[in-house]
Amino acid sequence: MADWICRTLRDGGLEGEHAPALTINDTISCPLGSFVFDHILSQLSSFICSQKSHSNGIVLVALSRSPLYYEQLLKGKGYDVVSSSTWFKVLDCYTDPLGWKSKLVESGNIGNLSPRSSVTVSLCKNVKDLDELLSSILELGKELSGDGRRRFVVAIDSVSEMLRHTSVSPVAALLSNLRSHDEVSSLFWLLHSDLHETRATAALEYMSSMKATIKQMVQPVDGHKANSEDISLMEHYLRRGKLCVHVKRRNGRVRMMFEELHVEKSGIKFTSVSSEDEITAQSLVPKVQFNLQLSEKERNDRAKVVLPFEHQGDGRTIQIYDGRKSLNDGKAKPNPLLYYNSRKKKKKKRFHCLRVSDDRRIDSNKKPADELKS
Amino acid sequence: MQLFLFVFPFYCSSSEDIHQLKYMAANRPRGGSFSRNLSASSTGVSHIPGLKHGPNGTMFLSSGIPDLDKILGGGFALGSLVMVMEDPEAPHHMLLLRNFMSQGLVHHQPLIYASPAKDPKGFLGTLPNPMASKDDKSRVHETEQEKGLRIAWQYKKYFGEQNSEQRDGKSEYCSDFDLRKPLERHFFSGQHIDCVSLRYSADLATFRERCSSFLSQVPRNIGNITGGRIAIQSLCSPQCEYSNEEWEMLSFVRSLKSLLRLSNAVAIITFPPSLVSTTFSKRMQHLADTLVSVKAIPDEDKELAKLLTGYQDMVGLLSVHKVARINTQPLLAVELYASSGSCSVSSKTGPTFS
Repeated sequence: MADWICRTLRDGGLEGEHAPALTINDTISCPLGSFVFDHILSQLSSFICSQKSHSNGIVLVALSRSPLYYEQLLKGKGYDVVSSSTWFKVLDCYTDPLGWKSKLVESGNIGNLSPRSSVTVSLCKNVKDLDELLSSILELGKELSGDGRRRFVVAIDSVSEMLRHTSVSPVAALLSNLRSHDEVSSLFWLLHSDLHETRATAALEYMSSMKATIKQMVQPVDGHKANSEDISLMEHYLRRGKLCVHVKRRNGRVRMMFEELHVEKSGIKFTSVSSEDEITAQSLVPKVQFNLQLSEKERNDRAKVVLPFEHQGDGRTIQIYDGRKSLNDGKAKPNPLLYYNSRKKKKKKRFHCLRVSDDRRIDSNKKPADELKS
Repeated sequence: MQLFLFVFPFYCSSSEDIHQLKYMAANRPRGGSFSRNLSASSTGVSHIPGLKHGPNGTMFLSSGIPDLDKILGGGFALGSLVMVMEDPEAPHHMLLLRNFMSQGLVHHQPLIYASPAKDPKGFLGTLPNPMASKDDKSRVHETEQEKGLRIAWQYKKYFGEQNSEQRDGKSEYCSDFDLRKPLERHFFSGQHIDCVSLRYSADLATFRERCSSFLSQVPRNIGNITGGRIAIQSLCSPQCEYSNEEWEMLSFVRSLKSLLRLSNAVAIITFPPSLVSTTFSKRMQHLADTLVSVKAIPDEDKELAKLLTGYQDMVGLLSVHKVARINTQPLLAVELYASSGSCSVSSKTGPTFS
């Protein structure tokens, strides 16, 4: 469903609505989040370049990878990097996030170490001030050319890096401001959920309208020592994962979709889920233990029971079964009740029934009239 | 009709002040042996639109959703605190808030609305309008009928008039809302509507002050009651600065609750329990008089479609966990025929529950 996500991000939100926001979630057991991020970024780039999208461009906030990496990514996909400045802007928070290098450069200790990049880069020197970050993003968005209404996509490479520098509230406020801004058509970010407390992850997922989690494929448990075969198997599994997408729909329902992903040298591939029982949707239906349907054996047994009623419904003469006599013709079907009774007869047990009023006679102190009084 | 309005006030002024405690006859439904005896004439005259008498001397105002009012035994009791536990995956709490606020505006009850958005006034544009057409026609028809019918005035209250009065009272007490139409402008004019943004407040002290001054306008023990409404959306939203300070939020809610008890208002607070610690969530739940939670349902779930009829129309589930018990110890015998119900929202009508 990665294509579905890309299309949703391409289309943006409706008028008056918050922009759709995607959280890409991964953990150390399956760290393929950055591949998914790159894939979505390149898909959106292709939509924008081919004019299929409502947005005019992408503003990327690069915190965990250098802008050079993205330049190479774009080149690899075949985009002309020089002309990309019209639709692709990078806010570089990777090179000098806290402003230390520029201080060193000012004091003359080092030369300018930042590598030249052909992708238009705007340097951010203070990642801790998120208000400034927001205004830088919006400024970069303004620089994107476009006729008519300017709208752009914001991509944040690793909100986890942002959370290193500030707490959850300012980050949530930033994301919420971006979502509610008129010029932002959609946004997506990467998060490594096991690096943060559950509350922080929950808060960021609360801010988003779609959540794509990358989970590990179920591995065969292997207790033996690693040998070369196992290592290649592990490598094989490291490159595979399961993509689970939760989408909050407009009508308030939650849609869940699953796909398998496979990272190869050429890129990432998505395939639909092979087996149906992989889909363990969170079900509100209680799992009942009993089964109201009868099995074959039970049905046969039910057919064999002779009911002690008049109409036994099988065309034979009516025989009222009163529990004392056994059916004396050999034609009778073997009947569990009959068997029991015949066995009972052999033992010659008799039940002696006492009437309740007989019981009362034993307690002869009370006269019947006395009972009415009390 | 006009004759009645002239006569009834005589009953009102005398009966309102007389609340007799009387040993109950066995045929009085609901409640225990002792209850306030509201004389028949004053109960017949629910002249304050939007409020109605409840058991044990309480008064109710409507939540805006007729089925929810029925489940809760009449509505929200004045002076109570209602908490709605949100589901982060669905915006159903907004539906409850919208109906609550619209109902208040229709009944001209003062309203204060707080949310973490930068511009909360925008939310007022999404409030639904009451459906008017059918009721108006039937009401017009009835008044015409009554003009033709001449019964001596003191007997009319025992016949027909009471029925129509009740029906009027019912449609007045809780309106059916049409979600397609926004609330008409005339409901907004001349109203006490206050919108507060909680986004940039570092603590809740200023908001608490505003609530306190709002609630002092609708105090108890004064003849002319209107009922007031406070709606706070997403109290623990992570964008707000105070969201990390749990004790701050708890003490705010506690002081709000104590202020509410002294006033004739109802406050609804929604909060997302998954975004706060479990202890905080528990404390908030215990602070509530009426506790309700909403839950999203998965889309295209075949098992659920088999289990629930009307699955196609349903958008979510609402569970009632706690109902307000004011002036009483035992649980009210409310019509809780389902402690959790499914909420269906069709494009025309407001939420209905099954």
